[in-house]
Amino acid sequence: MTPETAVVQALNGISFGALLFILAAGLSLIFGMMDVVNLAHGAFYMLGAYITLTVVQQTGQFWPALLLAPLLIGAFGFVIEPLLLRRLRGRHLDQVLLTIGVSLVIADVVGLTWGREIRSIPFPAGLDHAVTIMGGDYPAYRLFVIAFGVALAVLLAVVHGRTRVGALIRAGVDDAPMLAALGVDIDRLFAVTFAVGAALAGLAGVIAAPVFGIYPGMDVDYLIYSLVVVVVGGLGTLSGAMAGASLIGPVDTFGKVLFPEFALALIFAVMALVLLLRPTGLLGRIRVAR
Amino acid sequence: MKTRLAIPLAAVLAAALLVTFPLWSSPWETSRYATTILQSMLVVAILALSLDLLVGSAGMPSLGHAAYFGAGAYAAAIAGQRLGNDDLVLGLGAAILVSALLALAIGAVAVRASGIFFLMLTLAFAQMVFAIAFQAADITGGSNGFSGVRRPTFAGLDFNDATALFHLVALVFLLVLLLIWRIRSSAYGRALVGLRENERRMRALGYDTTRLRLSAFVVAGAIAGIGGALQAYSIRFVSPNDVGVARSVEAFVSVLIGGVGTLLGPVIGAVVVVFIERVMDSYIAFADTVLGLVFIVFVLTARQGIVGLVRVAYARVRA
Repeated sequence: MTPETAVVQALNGISFGALLFILAAGLSLIFGMMDVVNLAHGAFYMLGAYITLTVVQQTGQFWPALLLAPLLIGAFGFVIEPLLLRRLRGRHLDQVLLTIGVSLVIADVVGLTWGREIRSIPFPAGLDHAVTIMGGDYPAYRLFVIAFGVALAVLLAVVHGRTRVGALIRAGVDDAPMLAALGVDIDRLFAVTFAVGAALAGLAGVIAAPVFGIYPGMDVDYLIYSLVVVVVGGLGTLSGAMAGASLIGPVDTFGKVLFPEFALALIFAVMALVLLLRPTGLLGRIRVAR
Repeated sequence: MKTRLAIPLAAVLAAALLVTFPLWSSPWETSRYATTILQSMLVVAILALSLDLLVGSAGMPSLGHAAYFGAGAYAAAIAGQRLGNDDLVLGLGAAILVSALLALAIGAVAVRASGIFFLMLTLAFAQMVFAIAFQAADITGGSNGFSGVRRPTFAGLDFNDATALFHLVALVFLLVLLLIWRIRSSAYGRALVGLRENERRMRALGYDTTRLRLSAFVVAGAIAGIGGALQAYSIRFVSPNDVGVARSVEAFVSVLIGGVGTLLGPVIGAVVVVFIERVMDSYIAFADTVLGLVFIVFVLTARQGIVGLVRVAYARVRA
């Protein structure tokens, strides 16, 4: 591997990691607050990408999707939580099973609405050029993905650590029943949490659409990526999602270059290794395995 | 005395009717459509029965059970091709061996987790198996799949004959049903239920619970592998989809719709799921949506499944 390709692949890895962070942050937020692993997370991500496709086709613009898709998917999450999950509150495994059903329906409806073939959209205006790095061309959009991921991480960290909403989230993650006893409207907090988590998945879908593909089956692929990220990094914390994404993004990218035969299996080997050495994940507090 | 005899007699009669289905249905079922559908119901039922040993008996919600089903399918297909021998014992033996070993390797990590975490890990590791099936194209055929699976022979019987193959699938299904029934009523099966009900107490009683969980995972994996081998023989084709999440979900939904922790629940669930996915699918475009909605309704309102609903109704009638 030449230094040039090493740098290019490192950037690819980091941009993929940035995307995985956006995706996993939502999954982790929902789990942290509600103890529910949202298995429809990949479906929300898929929905984000396909809404972007429609926005680009209808308006010729990419940027409106960045606002529209998370809003729509967030609203959907805001309806789904009280409609389905709330009925089974406290029964965490059953709530997880519900999200399997939701995922089945969304994936099928996406297939019916947009067709079941691979789609693509061009890089958005303003970021459709290449940047010269180490004498070679590198797509500017991928650098934007990195910048966006980092900016979102900073924003979420500030909201989480410095604001009233963040304090509520931290308290809810620590002990939701106690928070409810203190008079906080926990129903609303859970609905908002689920909506924000879903919106983050949708946002990741928008960001991913121009580079990481729009295709049937993307829901499962990226659900698994986000599960691996949160297990490796640590469940239920923002820093865990960051750590997991920073590791898995580059590992997956370099794996595909260095060992193409094992590439798809590599991240699972990393996950198994982390579980055996650190059952809580790198920065987590919850033991996933004994 | 009358009811004591009635149930076994009914069971034997039902089994005989099932195995001979192609014979007595042939006058009105010339296209063999119902036989084909019934055969795939039986295959999915084997998968669901093996999964319920984990979900129902031991309380281990695996969402990656297709990995062992697919491993069995590939093993039977590849054994037939590479060994140049179509003996049924060899094919099924390869399927059982490979899927049990795979379950042992993945289980060694996955059974350390429980509940939702176990579900996440089994799902993720199954995707790893999917990735391997996809990438090891020299052996598995990769994304094109493995076509032209050779059908087995056994003691002069040639299962290239569709009716003979149906007899085989039905017979193996009945044997698996019998095996699961025996396991559930054995000391081992009760120990698995102990795991589900109170694992700490089981440890206190001196059980090595991690080992018990791992053994259940391997047994369930091996039985799923048998189902996979029969699937490969039935449609003469194996693809990464047989290992994929959709099939794992299909098995899980079967177990839950039919009735978790019951003997016949997974079978009934498999019948419903295959009906929605293979029969309804030919008439409507949104069969998966129907399946998803049915599943959601069952999780929300009838977590005990169809068998549970029937039991409640029966108790009401008798009372």
